[in-house]
Amino acid sequence: MKLRSEEPAKQTDEKAPWVERETLIEASPGEVWEALTDEDRLEEWLAPEVELDPTEGGEISVRDGDDERHGTVETVEEQERFAFTWSRPGEGESFVEFTIEALPGGSRVTVVETPIGPSAMAIGAWGSLLPRLQRSVCFTLVA
Amino acid sequence: MRSPAHRQVDSVFGALADPTRRRVVETLAQGGTVTASGLAEQLPITRQAVAKHLSALRGADLVTSTRVGRETHYKLRPQPLDEAAKWMQTVSAEWDRRLEALRGSVEKRASRSR
Repeated sequence: MKLRSEEPAKQTDEKAPWVERETLIEASPGEVWEALTDEDRLEEWLAPEVELDPTEGGEISVRDGDDERHGTVETVEEQERFAFTWSRPGEGESFVEFTIEALPGGSRVTVVETPIGPSAMAIGAWGSLLPRLQRSVCFTLVA
Repeated sequence: MRSPAHRQVDSVFGALADPTRRRVVETLAQGGTVTASGLAEQLPITRQAVAKHLSALRGADLVTSTRVGRETHYKLRPQPLDEAAKWMQTVSAEWDRRLEALRGSVEKRASRSR
């Protein structure tokens, strides 16, 4: 596949994330941070089996029955940002980043998941292309 | 059956990585069926460049071609895009579910310690 583009693939803000979701939590960033970076706490909400070395370059393994993902911790910024890559065996990797923002009375937690490698280069355009295509082509998009 | 879908998503993203190729896809999306020459007229690139991009898009199953006399007609095949879009929706839904579980887990603990 020819995947060279003028722009290098970067996990920066200039690329729209593939998926971005957020939630508001009535707890401090410190309390959220613990739930994101402690493997026992991760097992309460992410998946039944989680192994995590919460240091940059550390490993992460997430298992839910047959569904298994492994990856590497990329960013650890205490109470602010936690990021890792993960992938299922034989599938493409994606980059997952949590950002915690203190709000009065709580925290905003944002997660982005963005494919990396060859796929990443298309992401920036993807967000804008899809709605336009949906207008002009008959999609069976919404199930 | 996640892997084949994933590979397809990956090749769709790969094919759309090139900005000119995205223009070709958008033009095809507007025009129904076109020829490489017809596309080249609408885009600031040569017919040869159009043919190259069409071939890449065909590789990702995004474009189908049929011979009509001496011409090749190209048509957008939106199913792979549809597949990629569904995959995005799946991942969004997964994170919504996980974030809700995270919120529950954190708030339960926070209220206990207050």
